[in-house]
Amino acid sequence: MIGFVGLSHLGIISSIAAASKGFNVVAYDPDRSLCDDLRNGRLPVFEPDLPDLLTNNRARIRFTCDRAELKQCGLVYFSVDVSTDEDNRSDLTALDQLIGQVIAHVSPGTVIVILSQVPPGFTRKLANNLGGSFHLFYQVETLIFGRAVERAVHPERFIVGCSHPKGILPLPYDTLLRAFDCPILQMRYESAELAKISINIFLVSSVSVTNMLAELCEAIGADWWEIAPALKLDKRIGPYAYLSPGLGIGGGNLGRDMATLDTLAREFGTDAGLIDTWLSNSHHRRDWVLRILHSRVLSQCVSPEIAIWGLAYKADTTTTKNSPSLALIEALSPFSVRAYDPQAVLREVRSPSFLQVNSAFDACRGVDVLAIMTPWREFSLIDIARVRELMVGRIIIDPFNTLDSQRCAELGFSHFRLGSPAEIQGHTG
Amino acid sequence: MIRHRILTPVFPSRVVVLGGSGFVGQDLARHLTELGIEMVGLSSRQVDLLNRDSVEVLERIVCESDALVLISALTPDKGKDIRTLMRNLTMGEHLSAFTERVACSHIVYISSDAVYKDGENPIRETSCCNPSTFHGLMHLARERMLAHAVQKSKIPFLIVRPSLLYGANDTHNGYGPNRFMRTAKREGKVTLSGKGEEKRDHVYVKDLSRLTALCLMHRSEGVLNVATGLSISFFDLVQMIARLCAGEAKIEYLARTMPITHRHFDIAVALKAFPSFHYTPLQKGLFEALKDLSDRPGG
Repeated sequence: MIGFVGLSHLGIISSIAAASKGFNVVAYDPDRSLCDDLRNGRLPVFEPDLPDLLTNNRARIRFTCDRAELKQCGLVYFSVDVSTDEDNRSDLTALDQLIGQVIAHVSPGTVIVILSQVPPGFTRKLANNLGGSFHLFYQVETLIFGRAVERAVHPERFIVGCSHPKGILPLPYDTLLRAFDCPILQMRYESAELAKISINIFLVSSVSVTNMLAELCEAIGADWWEIAPALKLDKRIGPYAYLSPGLGIGGGNLGRDMATLDTLAREFGTDAGLIDTWLSNSHHRRDWVLRILHSRVLSQCVSPEIAIWGLAYKADTTTTKNSPSLALIEALSPFSVRAYDPQAVLREVRSPSFLQVNSAFDACRGVDVLAIMTPWREFSLIDIARVRELMVGRIIIDPFNTLDSQRCAELGFSHFRLGSPAEIQGHTG
Repeated sequence: MIRHRILTPVFPSRVVVLGGSGFVGQDLARHLTELGIEMVGLSSRQVDLLNRDSVEVLERIVCESDALVLISALTPDKGKDIRTLMRNLTMGEHLSAFTERVACSHIVYISSDAVYKDGENPIRETSCCNPSTFHGLMHLARERMLAHAVQKSKIPFLIVRPSLLYGANDTHNGYGPNRFMRTAKREGKVTLSGKGEEKRDHVYVKDLSRLTALCLMHRSEGVLNVATGLSISFFDLVQMIARLCAGEAKIEYLARTMPITHRHFDIAVALKAFPSFHYTPLQKGLFEALKDLSDRPGG
């Protein structure tokens, strides 16, 4: 029996993924109504394929708010997501509290695995506090919003932080990990904790370099969408490299890991000046749509009407934290904005002139400009001719290249994309 | 970097402009008056900031409800040497002594983009301040002096850092649009350093006045760069001026004495702070400025 403690995004996905491999799972959270919802198949998070995964494995997973049920587990994961503040600094309070509340209900000798996003040094400190009563490990989580099920069921590898990296994993833990049929990399706690950060920092680096070069493309008449395929064929860069330009660095996890790295570098006196550069570039690129809007629409129209497609920080998620779309909406407060997102719903009223509507077409009704802020697949499949009929203006700002540029041009749109020079973005652009 | 204390703009009850007779001060006075905002312009003749007594003089003039705009400075055309720097710092010292003691509603200091490090691009409000000239050093020192002074009085304090300004009334005759327009009009030629490759962001002085008025109406605090976000080379600028002068201006090239540097601005902060504000396109601003020059006696 495997226990999962803390049923936020990470805990829900990970517990159901373990059940999908044939293991019996106790999934614990102190929130009774959350457990009731999960028992009844009501998922509080949106992830493609997750409802089916839960339905198919419900017989093997028990959602409970009774800590005593963890007593029967030989392996217990702490899987609550660690939240961040507005400066992307981790707040470990919830995790610390959960450990404090639960550990007395876990049998001595149980294997404990920390799956939550903890900073380097956390697991060693916890091991010292717990003494020798448990086998303690840290496991790098690889959740990607929007692709969480795929990543949880078919991980590329497991990175396991151990007190002694050369040791043999306890049987229940080893049995679970081997069921996923992927490499298992054991290393010391600190290495594993930093490995997770290292992965994200490499992604930040790729995103930042891509964004820097994409901006230069826009300025000098090159087209990044022509360059990127050439880079993907370079073995040192590769087909899966992050080569799509974006509006800065979105989401909370990359920001968290930059903040953690920055804190560590300051504390230990290592050079992390690159982080400032990445953050500066990220803030700069985040405002790309706003700059285009001002130069092409807001400075030309008396009372501009703006449509925004996408509120989530990326496709296939409802998460809006650090979303460029929300930042844009805030900067457009005096103007009339009609927004649509297939999943994300804004609870707060942003401004009296902001309206969230129920369809992509409805958002376009009578507007001067359309900005596509999240590259949902739904948008790439849309009938652009119908969009043209509904819109008054002929400008589409499509940073992620969601629409067919050729088709947009044929319909008379100026189609602005990240990484493409203004003069080829549309005949009226 | 900029925060509005008042979200819905309201006119300040009165604006006192120190440096009211200069290029920037005159235009700000014109704009505030056109808006119907009561203003008092003070020049060095009324308040000599080099004199310690200026502190008491200002205390007698400025009321608690006044907003203050501080523009007074000895510009580089008055001297680029240490003596000018020290005189400017003396003025800053007296301004700081005054702002430490005064009760007023808002202080706006008109600084300069010269406070930023050369070659840093794009410039934004958070960019590194490391001036290469005494003029930039003076402004940076005065910004810090004033910020220190208002820490005690808690008066909302805004630093405005304009890029290169142009307009018909500019008396400084620095290398840029003003000089190019004058020599194009009067001598039919423009002299460029090298091939005029350097790119700069040129701001119409009326735009600075409009933005400053908006800041006063919002009682904004923090730092705001005043730049259009569009930089062009001096060569392209001269071409534009020549076209506006119906092609009369001939370009002369002098051997370059300074390395080529460019300056670009990221103006996202201003776009967010003032979403409905739009800069005058350069061509339109130059056209207006040239017309103003032509309309003058002997223009």
